[in-house]
Amino acid sequence: MVMKTRIAIIGAGIIGVMIARFLVEKGVNDIVLIEKNYPGSGGSFRCATGIRASFTSPEHVEMMKRSIELWPILSEKHGFTYRRDGYIWLLSEEEHVEMFKKIVEFHHRYAVPTKIITPEEIKEMVPTINTENLLAGVYDPLAGKADCFRALLNTLEYVKNKGAKVLTRTKAEKIIIKDSRAQAVETNKGVIEAEKIIVAAGYGSKKILKNSGVDIPLENLPKHALITEAYKPLFKPLLIDWSTASYIIQVLHGGFLIGANMKEKPDTIPVNRIEYLYLAVKIWSKYFKWLPYTRILRYWTGYYVMTPDHHPVIGPHSRIENLYIATGFSGHGFMMAPSVGEIMSQYILGEKLSVPIAKNLKLERFEKGKYVKEIAIFG
Amino acid sequence: MIDFSRGRKVKFYYNDKVIEAYEGESVLAALYAIGYRVFSYSPDGERPRGAFCMIGKCSSCLSMVNGVPNTRICIEPVREGLRVYSQKGFPEVPKVEEVVEAETIVLKPDVLVIGGGPAGLQASLTLAEYGLKVVLVDEHFKLGGQLVKQTHRFFGAKKFYGGIRGFNIASKLSREVMDNENIEVFLRAYAYGIFKNGYVGVAVRGEKPLNLLVRPKAIVAGVGASEKMIMFENNDLPGVMGAGGAQTLMNEYGIKPGERALVIGAGNVGLIIAYQLLQAGVKVHGIAEIMPKIGGWFVHAAKVRRYGVKIYTRHTITKAIGRDRVEKAEIAMVDEHFQPIPGSEKVFDTDLVLLAVGLQPNYAFFSQAGAVMKYIPELGGLVPLRTKYLETSVENLYVAGDASGIEEATTAFIEGEIAALSIAIKLGAGNNKTIKKREELLDYLWNEYRKSPVVMRACQGKLKATVSEEEMEKIRRGELDGI
Repeated sequence: MVMKTRIAIIGAGIIGVMIARFLVEKGVNDIVLIEKNYPGSGGSFRCATGIRASFTSPEHVEMMKRSIELWPILSEKHGFTYRRDGYIWLLSEEEHVEMFKKIVEFHHRYAVPTKIITPEEIKEMVPTINTENLLAGVYDPLAGKADCFRALLNTLEYVKNKGAKVLTRTKAEKIIIKDSRAQAVETNKGVIEAEKIIVAAGYGSKKILKNSGVDIPLENLPKHALITEAYKPLFKPLLIDWSTASYIIQVLHGGFLIGANMKEKPDTIPVNRIEYLYLAVKIWSKYFKWLPYTRILRYWTGYYVMTPDHHPVIGPHSRIENLYIATGFSGHGFMMAPSVGEIMSQYILGEKLSVPIAKNLKLERFEKGKYVKEIAIFG
Repeated sequence: MIDFSRGRKVKFYYNDKVIEAYEGESVLAALYAIGYRVFSYSPDGERPRGAFCMIGKCSSCLSMVNGVPNTRICIEPVREGLRVYSQKGFPEVPKVEEVVEAETIVLKPDVLVIGGGPAGLQASLTLAEYGLKVVLVDEHFKLGGQLVKQTHRFFGAKKFYGGIRGFNIASKLSREVMDNENIEVFLRAYAYGIFKNGYVGVAVRGEKPLNLLVRPKAIVAGVGASEKMIMFENNDLPGVMGAGGAQTLMNEYGIKPGERALVIGAGNVGLIIAYQLLQAGVKVHGIAEIMPKIGGWFVHAAKVRRYGVKIYTRHTITKAIGRDRVEKAEIAMVDEHFQPIPGSEKVFDTDLVLLAVGLQPNYAFFSQAGAVMKYIPELGGLVPLRTKYLETSVENLYVAGDASGIEEATTAFIEGEIAALSIAIKLGAGNNKTIKKREELLDYLWNEYRKSPVVMRACQGKLKATVSEEEMEKIRRGELDGI
């Protein structure tokens, strides 16, 4: 099989789909999405669905703020649920409260409206929570969540209706590069020639790029998550227990999704561990005494695709023409996807970037040692 | 014919009303007996749901029990003072006043047997004979699996209980298992998965909840099967029930499931349930069978016909009619593509539509364990590939009974014993006699029992699911997908 297309996007996760979406919106319909499994089968359908701009680097904050402007537009146009339900960080130690006071100041400089709240205020927003050990919370009213399944599938349907093609169960092996120009994608089912090639294949990007002579510093960090059976809506915000960096969110269809940290070696294949179930329930049953009486419906593992500075690689390759990269979202890909889609479409079509600071996120920063700086790493 | 000896009288509350019941009954059975038919509502809270499977496999009876929602009351034993509320749509989070913390217990038996039906009971007893320590878990509050509702005398060899009624076999084996000091039994115990380092998580419900962490040397999963559902209008209306569900009510609890029934499916289960309904004094309007021929045995078909029950071949159900329970049901003739032919509809006044449209093996445990699975229509659905010794692609995980593909209880006994003997041999507890015994059983199973033309289809399915030991090694190494 030899196929020709204007744009080849490797990876039909939320990132690849959003890139395609912003391209078709500008009249570029000759697109092929190459997906090794099925759309969303990587990180997109395993994520916690949370969306926030309360980060600690200007790059993250600006990209996420743009995303938060785009999410409601996309949700209305493509018919999926997105809600600004907020985030609350739960703080039980004095030094954490002091640290967060500085972070809130930083947020305010970037017009992110976080604020310190009292345990009583937490209780108002989160019925049934036990605030006994809490000193304070940090509330981010701008944060929210979206239906990760519908967000991807509805947008993909839209893109397909505009003429884009999706090749599922098709594995991209390498990018054929001649005279420093990307020319085609070699897959297990044949070659796809393209004018522009975008690598948005999560951790898989590393191997594809390596086979093409390009190094990218990515690590796959195993993560665990579980979800309970569905219940009537109890609370809206995503909650983060800061002392364990664990979160709980009642997702839009009603289940409580819990993510908690297990020690895992990067680049290993995660195994289901019963300790995870115990850990997740232990952390959150301190806050919710009803939790041990709910049933866990599913437990799954996935990955954070980490870069050395925990910021994504977004943009064109500096030396290889027509090659673009969008990966390494370090656990924040779903929330950032709309602005990434927009920025990538702007790079590809030679337009002005809607988030100028995104230029700091190109791959070349690692070669030059220009890592993105944060005032603190959290969440 | 059957003597229903009732237990001690107890009182519990349903939606704050006092209900009298007998110890040993499920909450659902007690409620059904006094006329309740609606037990929950669809997630949107709009559509009533009635009893369907009666064995803890479907979601039709999810209720709040002592503050805990989503509890399946068909496998919840009645107790004095129990507070049960019906649910409408998604429930609120559990209302617990006092948290009873589950105790975590680590167990390291030789073998974990999951499921106390014919396969699991037979496997446990055989393993115990070899001096192996067995932990047997079952999610129901009693042992026996579906044997408890089988009222007929078994066919086949004496060794496999030929001539004895199913429920009598169940009580005999359950007693033997309970009395055996090599077997530790946990009831209301749900095995939810295999985890790193071979730990199996088992949640035990009850007054003293337990978290069992079981690390066995081998596992026999005889996890059974679930009733299949077919698509038609209002197929969730209370009164649409699995044939097995009706058997549970009639044969296990002595409760009449309805007054006027229509049976869908003329396989053996459909024919037998029609006969049992007649014996229970239920009028049977007829049996609709989508195929041109009756699937079940001639003797069973002749029996129901003698009672004047009409069997409508080339017919299927097209809708159930009624507000909050079945009042009427419509069947129609189908064309060669199994599509209903307009104008051929017949409507029956009925309060009971019994679906006898087959069973599907419970595959979740094997899937979660990472066993290589294969979809085999002759066996009812997805089953794990296995060697003839019943070991799956997950080493030391064995499958037996309906979970290995739908047959019936006799083959479940045999498979349970083959799996147990294989484990005994593997763990060094067996000897040459054990090997000889296993070979004799395999010979009986494959060259005698499954040679009968009436079980040909299932036998073909089992052949498709069975690979040689060499092939299994390759499958384990990823050199062969086996599918």
